[in-house]
Amino acid sequence: MDSDCTLQTAETLLQPWAEGYDHPEPNRLDVQVTAANLKSAVQELVKAHWGYLSAITGLDHPAPGEAEGEDQAGSSSSLPVEGTLEALYHFCCSSVWTTLRVNVPYSRPVIPSICDIIPSATLYERELMELFGVELPGTPSLQRLVLPDDWPDGVYPLRKSFTGFESPTPP
Amino acid sequence: MEAHESKKFVVPIGPQHPALKEPGHFEFSVDGETVTDASLRLGFVHRGIEKATEGRTWVQNLYLLERICGICSDVHGTAYSIGVEKLAGVTVPPRAQAIRTIVAELERIHSHMLWLGVAAHEGGFDTLFMFSWRDRETVMDLLESISGNRVNYSVNLLGGVKFDIDEKQAGEIRRGLDYLEERTRHYMKVVTTDETFLGRTRGVGLMSKQQAELLGAVGPTARASGVERDVRVESPYLSYGEFPVNIMLETAGDLQARFVVRINELFETYRLIREILDHMPSGELTTRMPRRIPEGETISRAEAPRGELFYFIKSNGSDKPERIKVRTPSLCNWGSVISMAVGHKLADMPMLLVGIDPCFSCNDR
Repeated sequence: MDSDCTLQTAETLLQPWAEGYDHPEPNRLDVQVTAANLKSAVQELVKAHWGYLSAITGLDHPAPGEAEGEDQAGSSSSLPVEGTLEALYHFCCSSVWTTLRVNVPYSRPVIPSICDIIPSATLYERELMELFGVELPGTPSLQRLVLPDDWPDGVYPLRKSFTGFESPTPP
Repeated sequence: MEAHESKKFVVPIGPQHPALKEPGHFEFSVDGETVTDASLRLGFVHRGIEKATEGRTWVQNLYLLERICGICSDVHGTAYSIGVEKLAGVTVPPRAQAIRTIVAELERIHSHMLWLGVAAHEGGFDTLFMFSWRDRETVMDLLESISGNRVNYSVNLLGGVKFDIDEKQAGEIRRGLDYLEERTRHYMKVVTTDETFLGRTRGVGLMSKQQAELLGAVGPTARASGVERDVRVESPYLSYGEFPVNIMLETAGDLQARFVVRINELFETYRLIREILDHMPSGELTTRMPRRIPEGETISRAEAPRGELFYFIKSNGSDKPERIKVRTPSLCNWGSVISMAVGHKLADMPMLLVGIDPCFSCNDR
């Protein structure tokens, strides 16, 4: 390990870009970043050789009422709630994790691609595009990776609103 | 590959792959015999397992996730159980941990021997393929004697294990390992001295340490390029804390190094299983597990035979998960194949592909 694998280091590195921190577990640091700052934050970690990108997880947070369950009650955002998509960039260094969390609204689900910094992210980004419908401008390949060729456009299976097709096979 | 600027020739391979037994589609652009570009299309065995987990209970999901892959089913169940137990704040008894570790390592033996056979077959060395698959039966029989199954052993329960290993079985495992160790020595000799075989592996598919890190390679593929990356060492889970594993590294970064790393790992695995059997903790096999898992998110990972397996588990406090994300080691290693392919002869492609030990079911899910 040629770099200093501690959460403090990561926290210091990400200071300029962070919107908020969280320590969900002793070996994990969650950092909220905006879509615009994501690339700078990733660049910072890569430059310092802080671990490697292990995975990108997509999460769907539908607006309450849109899909049952999940009422984001008590949250400070009292504005009319719109569903959001969240992308989690998990960086792993030895046994600790830093997760960059990017939240984007349904109406503008755009996150810049990080493939020019980490080329191996392309497969993860393609999954995110197909399964959640996040747009990733700058990503090298827009071709389908996992869904069938005749899968209808605009249907994103890992969003909570997708509950299957009416007929067992897509039309 | 979209319409190419020049008049390059594109060779499509798959989905019915001539070399591997699982479907994947590749397009190699060639200039004469030399590959100039490669692209990949997966998903032919995509079953939507991640989505399916959201509609099933925590217990049902254990059995679903074990079926992501037939070769490394145990490690999926283990990574998932570890994550869910972490969320529930449950500690698994030490004997159960030890049994999980033994089965995980037996699975590694079976997977590496399976790979050795397939790789030898791709290299046109069918004798080695027959030998290694014959010997692999030994470990399959051992797994069957523990769990009753040759594949999908399903040893895990949330909060423990289903099967105990008694003294008689331990003796059988020891005898089996002795035989396998002797055979593995022979394989090591073959893959490092057989001239014909070396002609297919030495200096082929070179990947430097820097490249491997940049491309995010994991598991034996990364370790053959000198990248110190092994979850069992970096972040010990199960019994790997009490029974540490030595990391197996090679620096050559070619196909031969990938053979040597995996065979060395077999030796290390034999040693580890013997050590655990000699110091088997006593006690319970299971502990109580709540049906509803408290709200939270966790990351759980394990070293699958092919490399780091990653699970992200999010619970909303109910008896069903909110989201389970699985990132399998094969997906990370594709990047390395695609970029290694460039500059090689088309005839080397099957060996290169098989060199990362790809598992399509795993990365399609």
